[in-house]
Amino acid sequence: MFYREAGQYKSDYASDQAIFPIRQDRIGVLLIFLFALLVIPFIATNYLLNSILVPFLVFSIAAIGLNILTGYCGQVSLGTGGFMACGAFFTFKLTTWMPEVNILLIFLMAGFGTALVGIAFGIPSLRIKGFYLAIATLAAQFFLIWMFTQNPWWTNYNPAGVITAPPRALFGNFYITGIEATPVNKYLFLLCFTAALALVAKNLVRSALGRAWMAIRDMDIAAEIIGIRPMAAKLSAFAVSSFFIGISGAAWAFMYTASVEALAFEVTRSFQVLFMIIIGGLGSILGSFLGAAFIVLLPIALSNLPAMVGLRLPVDLIAHLEFMIFGALIVFFLIVEPNGLARLWQIGKEKLRRWPFPY
Amino acid sequence: MSAVATAAAPNQNQQEDGGVTQNTARVFDEVLLEVKDISLAFGGVKALTNISFDIRKGEIRAIIGPNGAGKTSMLNVINGFYHPQDGTITYKGQVRRKMRPHNAAKQGIARTFQNVALFKGMSTLDNIMTGRLLKMRTNMLLQAIYWGPNQREEIRHREYCEQIIDFLEIQAIRKTPVGRLPYGLQKRVELARALAMEPELLLLDEPMAGMNVEEKEDMCRFVLDVNEEFGTTIALIEHDMGVVMDISDRVVVLDYGRKLADGPPDEVRRDEEVIRAYLGVGH
Repeated sequence: MFYREAGQYKSDYASDQAIFPIRQDRIGVLLIFLFALLVIPFIATNYLLNSILVPFLVFSIAAIGLNILTGYCGQVSLGTGGFMACGAFFTFKLTTWMPEVNILLIFLMAGFGTALVGIAFGIPSLRIKGFYLAIATLAAQFFLIWMFTQNPWWTNYNPAGVITAPPRALFGNFYITGIEATPVNKYLFLLCFTAALALVAKNLVRSALGRAWMAIRDMDIAAEIIGIRPMAAKLSAFAVSSFFIGISGAAWAFMYTASVEALAFEVTRSFQVLFMIIIGGLGSILGSFLGAAFIVLLPIALSNLPAMVGLRLPVDLIAHLEFMIFGALIVFFLIVEPNGLARLWQIGKEKLRRWPFPY
Repeated sequence: MSAVATAAAPNQNQQEDGGVTQNTARVFDEVLLEVKDISLAFGGVKALTNISFDIRKGEIRAIIGPNGAGKTSMLNVINGFYHPQDGTITYKGQVRRKMRPHNAAKQGIARTFQNVALFKGMSTLDNIMTGRLLKMRTNMLLQAIYWGPNQREEIRHREYCEQIIDFLEIQAIRKTPVGRLPYGLQKRVELARALAMEPELLLLDEPMAGMNVEEKEDMCRFVLDVNEEFGTTIALIEHDMGVVMDISDRVVVLDYGRKLADGPPDEVRRDEEVIRAYLGVGH
């Protein structure tokens, strides 16, 4: 009843092209962000921050990245894990090589490095599409992980093949990686960083570049007739997507797990992110967040739920049940709403606009 | 415009046979595009054999012929989709080398398709805005920041797109995803997208196929208006003879990849060979 745009007249194109054209949306998003920024750090436990919110934010960045490539540009990729590993190892090498450079800058540089790798592995997309491209990106996945495990140079000759995040501060005493970093610091940094990256992604997809990507996705022949160079559009999508995924890999290694080996970025990681965008909604920035939340929260909810209702189940049974329910839920969602949670949210909003007079 | 009134009424048209329309009176001198001895074959199948004709600046040029005559192949050659084995294409006085479709777009050749080729996941407005891509200049970094130069550019192009939306009377469906639109409107959106490119040469592949009389009349009106107001040169493929004879300045007739006839509509209509191959002989 309160959610409708009646009376909100737009008198210029700028306000019509805004990210949230409806005032209630703007207020809602602002409130959520302020709550996350100002309230959660004070009330959240370390468990909530470390094991739920930080991975959620890290995965959100990865999901946005893959969504740009797969959801907006239509290029299926199974190389996400490999690109995440790139981001992690590039960050490690850069920050141990230049300890004095700010870690934020290092993250961005690692992102750009991953973007270059993404462009290189995106070249096959100029010739092949669909499943065949997915297989080609799978090659990237295996090659990159192989490179990082077989080459001790990447881990600074660590005998266990593990990289450990050195302590780095964003400014002054505000440590965001290493042992000095508190969960709150990590969370606050990631929150702002993710918000900024999401804004960048949204800006790109509502500008000329985003339209070029979607044109290639929807009908590449017509896109070419209009003057879009398929090579430029596809490779830029690979670059931007890998940039985001690289940064998420760096954040994973440095802020979530703090020490990581290359095998943490195995192909299951790629599938995990792919599930996120399929469940969240292809071609939607909001969907990337929803999908990440779904995939991160569901296993935790499933393992805690039996205990909450007073059910005592053996641990191994819980673990197996988790797999089964998880799989069933994914299948259920794909059947009920193939366009993902973002579409469900949109339908809900449309219903809400008419409520309580749905005719 | 009398041409519009008679556009979809071939019967009426036949009555005033011979002395028709002011269109025949229009004279065009400057050649915009000339194809010469074009031959195109796919393996052993000859799609086009030694086709030569020209399109002059400002005219409406119709390409007609029975199914499989090579009309669409001809358009595909013109906008760089197919590369003919033989022959030359001269566009704006320059002989064109082998090129990709996006080069043709850059040179001002726009195109619509026989089976609508819109971007299904995008809204009408976004589809039309996509047509402006070649005119947009801001780089990726500015687009990521959005506010500032990029927003100004977006708004400037939005204004142009809104003019086209007004022109084609599709204001009501601006924000609708094109996948949800009825066929007739989709064709109109496709024309809008082509117009957004500000083309010099507009290739229309059966713009009126599958439409009812009313939609056809609307489309004829739009085609004539585009030609008149924007001065766009138009080459169209169409099967509705009433439409072709009424709105086109000159007609080229293809059959089995060969050129049968070329000239003003009245002349073509009386051509024996054309009647035998395409228009049909009275028994």
